[in-house]
Amino acid sequence: MYSIQNLEDKESKEEAKEEDAYLKVTDLVTNFYTSRGIVKALDKISFSINKGEIFGMVGESGCGKSVTALSIMDLVPDPPGRVVSGKVEIDGFNIFSDLANIVRIRIKSQTDVKVKRNKRALKKHNFMLSKIRGKKAGMIFQEPSLSLNPVLRAGEQITENILIHNKKPIADSLINRANLSLDDLKHLVEEVQKNKENVRSILNEWCRSNALVDLETQINSIFRNYSDPAEIESEIVSLIKAGLTSVDKRSLIEARDYYSYIEKAENLQLSLYAAEEGSDRELISSIEKELEQLRLKEGTRYRFYSIKRIFTGRKVERVFKAEAERRAKEILSLVSLPDPERIMRSFPHELSGGMQQRVMIAIALASDPKLLIADEPTTALDVTTQAQILRLLRNLNKLVGASILFITHDLAVIAEMCHRVAVMYAGNIVEVGEVLEIFDSPKHPYTVGLLGAIPTTQAKTDAGVNMHTIPGSVPNLITPPSGCRFHPRCSFVMPVCSQSKPKLVELETGRKVACFLYSSEVDD
Amino acid sequence: MELRFFIIRRLLLIIPTLIGLTIIVFVLMWSLPHTFLASAFINPKAPNRAQQIINAENALGLNQGIVLGYLHYLGNTFTGNWGYMTLSNPIKYSGTVLSGIGLFFPNTIQLVIFAAVLSILISIPLGTYIGARPNSLADHLGRIFSLSFYAIPVFVLAIVFQVIFGQGVIAGNPLGIFPISGTFTITSQIAISPPSWLISGVGGVVLSKPTHLIVFDALIAGDYSLASNAFMHLVLPVLVLTLSLLAGILRFLRASMVDAANSEYVKTARSKGVPEGKVIKLHMRRNALIPTVTVLGLLFASLLGGVVLIEDVFDYPGIGYLALSTILSGSIFGVLGTTFLFGIVLISANLLVDIAYAILDPRIRY
Amino acid sequence: MVQETVVRNEGQLQPKRHSRFENANSTFRLFLKNRLAMVGLVITVIYFAIAVLDSVYPQWLGVSNLSTALNFIPGHSANLALPTAPSFSGSWWFWLGTTYSRIPILPVVLGALRIDLAYTVLIVFVGMSVGVIVGSIAGYFGGIVDEIVMRVTDVFFSLPFFVFALAIVYVLGFSFTNVVLALMIIWWPTYARLSRGLALETKSLKYVEASRASGASNFRILVSHIIPNVLSPVYVQISLDLGSVIQLFAAIFFLVGSLGASAYPIEIGYMISTGESYLAQGIWWPVIIPSLFLLVFTVAVNLMGDGLRDVLDPKLRR
Ligand SMILES: Nc1ncnc2c1ncn2[C@@H]1O[C@H](COP(=O)(O)OP(=O)(O)OP(=O)(O)O)[C@@H](O)[C@H]1O
Ligand code: SF4
Ligand SMILES: [Mg+2]
Repeated sequence: MYSIQNLEDKESKEEAKEEDAYLKVTDLVTNFYTSRGIVKALDKISFSINKGEIFGMVGESGCGKSVTALSIMDLVPDPPGRVVSGKVEIDGFNIFSDLANIVRIRIKSQTDVKVKRNKRALKKHNFMLSKIRGKKAGMIFQEPSLSLNPVLRAGEQITENILIHNKKPIADSLINRANLSLDDLKHLVEEVQKNKENVRSILNEWCRSNALVDLETQINSIFRNYSDPAEIESEIVSLIKAGLTSVDKRSLIEARDYYSYIEKAENLQLSLYAAEEGSDRELISSIEKELEQLRLKEGTRYRFYSIKRIFTGRKVERVFKAEAERRAKEILSLVSLPDPERIMRSFPHELSGGMQQRVMIAIALASDPKLLIADEPTTALDVTTQAQILRLLRNLNKLVGASILFITHDLAVIAEMCHRVAVMYAGNIVEVGEVLEIFDSPKHPYTVGLLGAIPTTQAKTDAGVNMHTIPGSVPNLITPPSGCRFHPRCSFVMPVCSQSKPKLVELETGRKVACFLYSSEVDD
Repeated sequence: MELRFFIIRRLLLIIPTLIGLTIIVFVLMWSLPHTFLASAFINPKAPNRAQQIINAENALGLNQGIVLGYLHYLGNTFTGNWGYMTLSNPIKYSGTVLSGIGLFFPNTIQLVIFAAVLSILISIPLGTYIGARPNSLADHLGRIFSLSFYAIPVFVLAIVFQVIFGQGVIAGNPLGIFPISGTFTITSQIAISPPSWLISGVGGVVLSKPTHLIVFDALIAGDYSLASNAFMHLVLPVLVLTLSLLAGILRFLRASMVDAANSEYVKTARSKGVPEGKVIKLHMRRNALIPTVTVLGLLFASLLGGVVLIEDVFDYPGIGYLALSTILSGSIFGVLGTTFLFGIVLISANLLVDIAYAILDPRIRY
Repeated sequence: MVQETVVRNEGQLQPKRHSRFENANSTFRLFLKNRLAMVGLVITVIYFAIAVLDSVYPQWLGVSNLSTALNFIPGHSANLALPTAPSFSGSWWFWLGTTYSRIPILPVVLGALRIDLAYTVLIVFVGMSVGVIVGSIAGYFGGIVDEIVMRVTDVFFSLPFFVFALAIVYVLGFSFTNVVLALMIIWWPTYARLSRGLALETKSLKYVEASRASGASNFRILVSHIIPNVLSPVYVQISLDLGSVIQLFAAIFFLVGSLGASAYPIEIGYMISTGESYLAQGIWWPVIIPSLFLLVFTVAVNLMGDGLRDVLDPKLRR
């Protein structure tokens, strides 16, 4: 009875997991077509990251961790690199759905490869990417000093992201603020005066009913910092109506309508693309029809607006920018940067490495993506700053609920940060599982070596130190070893290992290993 | 804020440069026989020549050793006492060096302004476009274009254009619509009764009021036919100058665009979802302009060389032509004066370039 | 290929470091693969071969100086006769036609290359040597030395080099030597600036700091670390400068010719100026053919320089 119960539990848990996957990578292949030959940097890797999870990725230098991160957002430098096949689904959208059409790769010889791009398919692909990048996934790179644009102020780089993806919500929030009557505000201040213990809940209620939730924390701090009702009132007014005086409500509404039309059209377009991947003709044509209608009904109206915006929209854009700046400052304090005002105005070279990396994180977070891809975010920083950044990332994971793909070659960090971890070797994922399980009982010979030869709990503490115990060196990925790419270095090597490639199979729930010691399944 | 300090610092740096320039020009002068210098300094037709020569020796400090000589030179240079020149070939002019320069300089300014503005206006969008698409067809064409115009000697370009597009060079050539020499046609009517805004200068050179730039002055005065005539005179020299400058800027801009495209911050921009057009214009181009601007100073120096050659080919009465005339006429103070002037022009250009650099690149405004 | 060898028990996971030799070798291989750069290299080599051949074996062209060449030309006295068009019927001397006073273009242009190239190389190499040494010292020692060198180069950068060269030539008197001297004086600051910046960069590299910490002398560090590191961008600059200097050189002699000076140097710019007045009559070859020789050389060294830059800059390597 008990065991059955358990089994059912497991199953339902598993199902939930499948559904919960925010990022799902399937059989991803990325090559670099260089003058020395084709670098097979990623060889059909698959993994998925659940909502709210911190997923680690470890491996030696050159095993393809960065390439994985870049491939997920299709940011692999091209030329020479290309994602060649596979799927990357972020929040259900496969950004490589049309890969076969986007590029045609003709391999004349190992060193002479022609890549032909299809403009049409590329347009669609770029559209998909523009909805994914920044909005659904943000990225943090290893070298903050190189990754920030040296000629733009930190503020500009954050607001840029906000303004790209959030025009409609900003317009909504601005209109709500414009709608707010001063009487309402007076009422709130009075009520708080009367009932000082319950400031929080009153405020929460009030913000909710006036659709001002995004200002709640700031209003709250005003109540905390000021005592005089008149002062509080004027502070809140200047917060809420800041910048709104220069623009009339009509043009705000016009802008909002325009952006919500755009958003509607884009969403339809996106679901159309998603539908095109399947073969449900009916669904496709119904979406097409809907899109058509939307364009007919509203599009004509806004064709004008986009021209008019160039001439009269300056003011509105300025108010948008002011609001984006307010949000940027909020994010800067979210990443625990003191004095956001000053940071906003600073150029990257005026900030320390840790500050730069926080700004980088702020940029990645600006549009509230549910996935953060962090490629060795602390490698370039000194030890104390490293710890701070790690703590920050962990807190952000809890606070905003974003999943994190955390790439590092430091096992100690993995142990500290991650829920699950994937071990990479020479362009393959060789083992995936819960961090504790992997540290307790590593299965794949490479993982075993990585953790220090003998699978003991002791390994956890020794991790990192023992990285250098595997004999041999990372293979060259132009001519990788046949079969299991680890076989020249593996002490358990068997005849089959050099002939065929082991498949990444699930040994127990959530635990996958690619090694013939555990399963004879072959990956073709 | 910090930019202001940068500019002040940069302005102060002009002082050592100016001193260096004057030293070099002074050394050139001092190395010549002093008796020759004294007699070259004065108006040869002036009465009481012997006394004048003694005055000149004193003014130049010729007998007071090299240090005092240099100080005298500095004094003369900054008080505008640049000496006298008598030119015979090809310009005919006799007068002080400074007023001669005043006569010819505006024409060069006009030429350079047109060429510089035109080449920058063309090269930046073009360089952005091709630099963002390396190895595309447009890129290959652009590279062929810029490399060939970079490699064609500017004087060859000038004489070839003169023949192909020059008015009356080849009889019945339909392309030959542009005048090939001078700044405008002095019609008999102008010769007889010049309009009030034209001050007739020496040696057939005409100075116009108020800007001294003839095309603009004619426009201001409302004389459109003269304006268009002067403009047509400018077309060929400006075209040649523009093409050679354009080729240089284009090469650098393209290379720096490609560099910028490989940078990490462009990756960051893409990872934010910035639309490709904005990635190119804001992130790549803003950064690519920085190294491009730094070479603008060098390009401008070679542009001044081009000015000399082009003014020679088109008999265009600017300071390049004047410099040549001073050399050919053997007028030492003319040579020194024009050399110094060219130096000042280049120093000013470098100043502008550095300020532009500081505006573009926040990292150097420390 | 290089890294494939598996070294067991080495206890190191880092990929094997390429030795300097392997590196140079692979750089060279990459350069060979760059077709345009190879075209540039081949053309440049041909130009220099011609120049060398003409110097060591003057009978080949037989026009080592124009006065002897003039004696060879039939109808030399008929100065007013028009140039003859290129024609392959007669002696190879006349394949590319003749220019002013029936001087045959082909042998004279080839002869002129010798002079142009010799002086160009001289100017660039003297300028480069002075510039690299001065710049490396300035960048390495920094401080007051650096400041002085920077200010001096500032002055030279504010000299309009063409006009300045003319002025020097005027003061010193017109001759080949003085033109060359003037251009040398102008040319070193470019290299000084370039190597100063690179020396500054190199100085702060880890291994240079390490070698300083281990007590290497300044001279040793300069010679064995700083200057070698400075050199590879300098190669690129040399390659590009060969084009600029030859053009400048030709431009000066073009001016000399077009202003009616009566010296008759065998020089390409001067040759172009002798043909200028014929252009309007449709006689193009006296101008265009020498110009093409100049243009092809400039394009070639630029292709070579661009190719060099591509292979020497690891960022652009692929
Ligand atoms: N631009 C490129 N051109 C050619 N090959 C590349 C390029 N970028 C990466 N590679 C190859 O892809 C493989 C994976 O590189 P990647 O940068 O992903 O390693 P990594 O795991 O991130 O290593 P590290 O820990 O050093 O960051 C390497 O073998 C590398 O040679
Ligand atoms: S498959 Fe074979 S070679 Fe590869 S890790 Fe397993 S045992 Fe070792
Ligand atoms: Mg990496």
